[in-house]
Amino acid sequence: MKSFKVLRFIIIIIPIIFAPQILLSREEYSFDLSEIEEAVEKKPYSLSGYMEFRLNFLYLDEDAAFYTLKFFDSATTNRLDEYKFGLLLDADYQKQNIGLFLRTNIDAVKSDLESDMSAKIFEGYLSLTPSFFFAAGLGKKTLNWGTGYAWNPVGFVQRPKDPGDPGLPREGIVVAAADIIKSYGGQLQTVSLTPVFIPVYEGVNEDFGEINHINFAGRAYFLFYDTDIDFMFLTQGSKPFRFGADFSRNITSNFEIHGEFAFINNFEKKIIDSDGNLFEKKYDARSYLLGVRYLTSFNTTIISEYYRNGTGFTTEEMEDFFDLIDKQKNLSLTPATDSLLKEASSLADKSYGTRNPMKDYLYLRISQREPFDILYFTPSITGIYNLNDRSYSLSPEFLYSGVTNLELRLKGSFLKGGPGTEYGEKLNDYRVEIRARYYFDAVKLMNL
Amino acid sequence: MKRLFITLMLVFGVASPSFAIDGTEMLKTIDANLNPESFEMYRKLINVEPNGSKKEFLMYSVKKGKDKIASVFLSPASEKGRSTLRVGENMWLYIPNVGKPIRITSLQSITGGIFNNADIMRLDYHQEYHCETVEKEAGGYLLHLKAKTSAVAYDKIKMWAGGQKLLPTKIECYAASGILLKTLYFSDIKSFDDTLTRPSVIETDSPLYKGYKSIMLFARVKAMALSDEVFTLTFMSKLESLR
Repeated sequence: MKSFKVLRFIIIIIPIIFAPQILLSREEYSFDLSEIEEAVEKKPYSLSGYMEFRLNFLYLDEDAAFYTLKFFDSATTNRLDEYKFGLLLDADYQKQNIGLFLRTNIDAVKSDLESDMSAKIFEGYLSLTPSFFFAAGLGKKTLNWGTGYAWNPVGFVQRPKDPGDPGLPREGIVVAAADIIKSYGGQLQTVSLTPVFIPVYEGVNEDFGEINHINFAGRAYFLFYDTDIDFMFLTQGSKPFRFGADFSRNITSNFEIHGEFAFINNFEKKIIDSDGNLFEKKYDARSYLLGVRYLTSFNTTIISEYYRNGTGFTTEEMEDFFDLIDKQKNLSLTPATDSLLKEASSLADKSYGTRNPMKDYLYLRISQREPFDILYFTPSITGIYNLNDRSYSLSPEFLYSGVTNLELRLKGSFLKGGPGTEYGEKLNDYRVEIRARYYFDAVKLMNL
Repeated sequence: MKRLFITLMLVFGVASPSFAIDGTEMLKTIDANLNPESFEMYRKLINVEPNGSKKEFLMYSVKKGKDKIASVFLSPASEKGRSTLRVGENMWLYIPNVGKPIRITSLQSITGGIFNNADIMRLDYHQEYHCETVEKEAGGYLLHLKAKTSAVAYDKIKMWAGGQKLLPTKIECYAASGILLKTLYFSDIKSFDDTLTRPSVIETDSPLYKGYKSIMLFARVKAMALSDEVFTLTFMSKLESLR
């Protein structure tokens, strides 16, 4: 019955997706310079974004620790189908050197387990650009520090990326920030300074760290000898004091290298042992990342990164956590076991279950642009390898963007690892995702 | 020694029929005829597939001096707000969803199709190429250009130029291996203002993409005074405010 529903959905969606292309393929190409003259008319406002449909088929691992945490107090299943709808809407208004920007994100999900909808303001800020040398912003904003593709150890003022999909928009934080820019001739071409104030109070940036602090962070950027160099810090407050640096440079026209280093003073790590006892470890954490991006003569792009997560768990710490869940799973559910699993579940949300919670990772992405002369078609494969427990994920992906404003993606993820390993204990063994995303410019569509 | 010098002069003097033409100056003239020192422009890029289907991109670009160019996509909606920056051999792409400029390379293509990043963010030809020789041909000249460094997208270029005002008519781009990568055809010469008259259409095809074609249309090319700070990573998200 479930399969029939999926098949019916696919039969309905495919003609909708490909109809524009069929129509387009009959169109003759011509060009008229007057078309451009009309198209370049500027309006002070814009309203654009995308909507997307996603079908996720998750094939669950009933022996996995995260399966136990998700289903210990509810009915179990070995397959989970999710139907998701997303809408990202950007609204922008500019009047001379003052601007207003609002980005809202709506997500709706329907599955056998849940039926939910959430709407969030990802960004909403007022900007002021009185000159080319100075800009200031106030409000909720997504800042992106770091040169890493999959991870950013120096991302002190942002939410972490999803290494499996690093290009996804992320929710910002409420800040008051400024940019001071200066260009020079010679080997030092650009200097820019970015001071940032981050208030953390009840109802404002609560998830950033300890409340009742105004945090101060800063970044200095230099384009020096054709190399991007950043130095950044976050003062002690809601989080411990930290500082870092990053760089990025093109060695040749098809080869780029980048790296990051972060130091966190007195980092506090919460650990749970296999009997459910909680501990706290305090130490100075050092994280770093080194990466390359290489384009071959066959248009194959290779991105590779090594990430050392100084705040991550060791193999033993992670095994203890999985042992705890395993032990509780084998006991009949009593208030005591229930409480321990709830404690473990809460810790999973904060640390053990976050993306790449351990120490050492390798990332490799290989993508081939337009193979066999198929324009706008990009197949790729992404692998994340946990060097500590030798578990890994492998995600092949096919992306097609040949129809204007429409992007189609088919993606699979296969997780492999033994008992007590990060990927071996994930909720699912493998998953398949079909995504259709349509971009729109509402001002043009509705002739506003 | 004197005899050797005279012999060398005779050998090279006879072997090179283009001895009297200064290729470097000619290339600088061509660059100056194609665009002012500091300017803004609108461009439409059209990728045409063998079945006639097409994909279009509209960009606003600003260029300053010999080595600075920045562009922002105005349409289609899927590309809107994406901006590119080139300072010398450094190139970056800013994607609004990602929110941070990332380094890209000249051989990649942000639009797909035959135009690569070096074509879309082209610097002056004399900035990237030496003119090795010039041949006089009927109705114009053939310039043989060689990349100054290995970081340049094409190792060699053959440029045909001519007309009352010296402008390119056709360019062939070659890889270091000698393979022809693409051919650019310049047409539809148009006056953009009192001082600038240049081709408003560049079409390209490539033996590597048989049956495919890419076209670049130019509009509203006009001189504009620009601050150096416009050509920085921090300004990439604000490029559209220049319009």
